[in-house]
Amino acid sequence: MSVQEIPLTTIRTRIRGVPLMPEAVMLALAVIAYFLFPYDLALLTRIMVMMLFVLSLDLVLGYAGIATLGHAALYGTGAYAAGLFAVHVSADPVTGLVVGAAAGAALALVSGLLLMRAHGLTLLMLSIAVTLICQEIANKARDLTGGADGLRGIRMEPVLGLFKFDFVGRTGFWYALAVLCVCYAVLKVVTLSPIGLSVRGIKDSAARMVAIGSPVYRRLVTIYTIGGAVAGVAGALAAQVTQLVSLEVYAFNLSAEALIMLILGGAGRLHGAIIGTLIFMVVHHIAASVDPFNWLFIIGALVLGIVFFVPAGMLGIPAALRNLTGRNGDARP
Amino acid sequence: MNNLVRAALAAAMATLCAGACWADTIKVGVIAEFSGPFAIYGKQYKEAIETYVAQHGSQSGGHDIEFIYKDVGGANPDLAKTLAQELLIRDRVNYLAGLTFTPNALALAPLIEQSETPTVIFNAATSAINKQSPYFLRTSYTLWQVSTPLADWAYDQGIHTVVTAVSDYGPGIDAENAFKAAFEKKGGKVIDTIRMPLATTDFTPFIQRVRSQAPNGVFAFLPGGPPTFGFTKSYNENGLAKEGIRFLGTAETEESNLQALGDAAIGLTTAFHYSEAHDSDVNAAFTKKLGELSAGAVANWASVGAYDGTHLIYKMVEAAGADGPKAIEAVKSLKWESPRGPVEMDPKTRTLIQNVYIRDVERDKDSGRLVNREKGVIATVGDLGWTD
Repeated sequence: MSVQEIPLTTIRTRIRGVPLMPEAVMLALAVIAYFLFPYDLALLTRIMVMMLFVLSLDLVLGYAGIATLGHAALYGTGAYAAGLFAVHVSADPVTGLVVGAAAGAALALVSGLLLMRAHGLTLLMLSIAVTLICQEIANKARDLTGGADGLRGIRMEPVLGLFKFDFVGRTGFWYALAVLCVCYAVLKVVTLSPIGLSVRGIKDSAARMVAIGSPVYRRLVTIYTIGGAVAGVAGALAAQVTQLVSLEVYAFNLSAEALIMLILGGAGRLHGAIIGTLIFMVVHHIAASVDPFNWLFIIGALVLGIVFFVPAGMLGIPAALRNLTGRNGDARP
Repeated sequence: MNNLVRAALAAAMATLCAGACWADTIKVGVIAEFSGPFAIYGKQYKEAIETYVAQHGSQSGGHDIEFIYKDVGGANPDLAKTLAQELLIRDRVNYLAGLTFTPNALALAPLIEQSETPTVIFNAATSAINKQSPYFLRTSYTLWQVSTPLADWAYDQGIHTVVTAVSDYGPGIDAENAFKAAFEKKGGKVIDTIRMPLATTDFTPFIQRVRSQAPNGVFAFLPGGPPTFGFTKSYNENGLAKEGIRFLGTAETEESNLQALGDAAIGLTTAFHYSEAHDSDVNAAFTKKLGELSAGAVANWASVGAYDGTHLIYKMVEAAGADGPKAIEAVKSLKWESPRGPVEMDPKTRTLIQNVYIRDVERDKDSGRLVNREKGVIATVGDLGWTD
């Protein structure tokens, strides 16, 4: 290490030394966004719901390496559970979220017992199969779910009995932001905890983890169940904000788009999921409102660009640039 | 940073005021599909709106009318609601329109109720939608509206036993229920009810099942596109027509699919509210203008729904400007001559009372194209699926 580089490195360590720096910045940006875009609160709320869903996928796929294309199954089950709970039992939003989380976790546990025995393509196909089964059940149980017409009649009570869901979407925004923060904190703890570290090990080499005595199968089922709970919360939140649940919550498209957002941001890091979702949904929104007829080209170009130039996602860009200029002490020769 | 925020807010306020002060422009937000597998619907809505504007000018009752299009991409209630909020809050639209899928329409109900925004549904065909808000008006049709008259007509034609074969999803089951209820009430017998999975591509087993029971007719309901091709192809290949099992359908032979069905479609019988070949001056003017504006455009249920919807919006603007509740009252019981024939807005169900025609597919001698030739009006009905 040369003499000139010492101050640079120390500065970097000092910045990194501030605890929860990226989280604080993101939260601040969310609050600023509220004041900056008072007419887009509905969109911002949808983005946050999606962030929650992609975060859960990040835990399952980015951290634990469980290759799934059926994450919508957990989201949709959370949405239907919260919707049905609101219609038939209680319209209290927070209880609804708990019900959504429980439903997502329950499905993840039950399906996880089977799914986690499979790997690679088999796992991919099985995860899609689970989603299709859920979708067909929701379609068939028409009297309960409304089938293709959607589950209607969800009218939510005020959040904590104080804040009514308003027309402009102010309550929806703060409610979603609060839920997102809580879930993010939970996920942060999970990923830093021993189980989080051990599933990262499993992702890198399951065989070695077995060799050092880690119960691989049980760990994967556990992490999948936690992911299921978070996905269930995301679904429940969507159901409460939209006040309608349709069969599309089980759409294959949803799982695939979440995967694109995760890869876009950078899998394996929580803020990667946040950044990827934000960029994808904002580009999607702007492109679709500028040219509602041909906007899919822009999204296609964005995804292609990312895959070709920064396969590690947006979070990989600084490293890629550093490598390019060769000014980095850690850069490989 | 603070200054930037303030500047941005000021700019936002300025645009808002500009929008409010320019009261002479009435804005209409159109939420429809402009991308993905259902993009054809959005395209047809837009073509029909442009046709209406070209015929009647961009003003009504002294107000300019501006259309803002938003892409919802398919059945996606979350997005539909977000788009509607954006249109209402930022763009300050006075009317909403479009809506192909039932969940998208249902998601809007609480919003338009609060903002008192008249919303014209161009398609979404589930009866129950209009019950969710008094601000919904519908210029398409409901499944009961066409299935019930078809059942009555079929019985009168001597078709006394029928097998129903429908795609296994909401609208398919609605169609089955509507047909069965009406047919059995008449005294007919539904021998078997077959529900086919949505993703089916090979219909031979179902057709064989129909054939082995030798009914007088088979009532089918399938979503447009590949399922309809597959079903009609199997129907012909297995010689059901020759054995005297008559095909009874509704939207299966609609115009955007019809040419692709080819000769296999000739002789299929359907009951529906609109045919491109409807013989009237209004329809001739409509199809002619549509063809002039967009080459190769075909007029079908989607076009006529949007065309009549635009007419309804023009009438509401003329009567009430931007006053939502007054606008709705003004067009209740409105009667006009549509390209589909005479129609009336039912004040109770807020769905059109219209003619249902019985049609056979024929090859037109002059143009060489397949057409739905109307053989007669079988009923003039409102929404038969409405329950109080």
